[in-house]
Amino acid sequence: MAYSEKVLDHYENPRNVGKMDADAPDVGTGMVGAPACGDVMRLQIQVSDDGIIQDAKFKTYGCGSAIASSSLATEWMKGKTIDEAELIKNTTIAEELALPPVKIHCSVLAEDAIKAAVRDYKQKKGLIKEV
Amino acid sequence: MGQSQHTDYFALFALQPTFAVDTAALAVTYRQLAKDVHPDRFANATAAEQRQAVERAAELNDAFQTLKSPTQRALYLLRQQAEMPEETTIQDGEFLLQQMEWREQLEDLQEQADLQALERFVGELKQARSKIDNAFALCIEDPEQRLQAERLARRMQFLDKMFYEVRQLEERLDD
Repeated sequence: MAYSEKVLDHYENPRNVGKMDADAPDVGTGMVGAPACGDVMRLQIQVSDDGIIQDAKFKTYGCGSAIASSSLATEWMKGKTIDEAELIKNTTIAEELALPPVKIHCSVLAEDAIKAAVRDYKQKKGLIKEV
Repeated sequence: MGQSQHTDYFALFALQPTFAVDTAALAVTYRQLAKDVHPDRFANATAAEQRQAVERAAELNDAFQTLKSPTQRALYLLRQQAEMPEETTIQDGEFLLQQMEWREQLEDLQEQADLQALERFVGELKQARSKIDNAFALCIEDPEQRLQAERLARRMQFLDKMFYEVRQLEERLDD
């Protein structure tokens, strides 16, 4: 299957690959996986006291679409507040990357990773209760 | 998937619906059953009979492929009890962390091209896999442990992918 140019660009030059200290109080970590294809995604955010995402990093083991979705997610999250970041929708990611229907689940995975990272941060800060 | 419309795969092989399956015996039964629906036996049959034989052969093959694979067998057992989506996001933290570590280890092994280290790594994966299988065999028998059984089956899927990645690496290193 042919990847779109944008997917290829993110796949060949992934933005913000890396790892943050998951134990740091200002870091939120989201770890998600898709069993059907075995993809694993780690997405981390570093948040300032006023709730703005200063930095975002990811590491994804999976197909090009999964890598591109998480790479794009980190780009979009930077500079946003955590509440704004939580509103990023998989459909917007899929549209931007022109993902074909069979790869939509990759963008869903990225959205779920964003939500998990924000939730982890909020839990650390006592903004929401642990589940 | 409309699984309910199908003949029960276990019944097709005269087996009890449990996770423990003797795959060698399964293969023997499969070959016997496959003979009964082989196209050669229907060379002089009506078109309808031939079509039915083809359908039965396809179903038998699906059943065999499903029951042969421990992961597919586990998912089949779970789906007999209740629906389970094909695609889903899991947040099984501890296991995903382990998954990340294994993927990183595999990357290192690829760079090192160390076959002995790769063998040790495969041993570790096999151990993890058999632990999951053993735990699943117990959970699937207990309706109250449905969620844990699902989690274990999802882990099996990830391990299948790991073994696939390992085989890919072994092939590259063999060249």
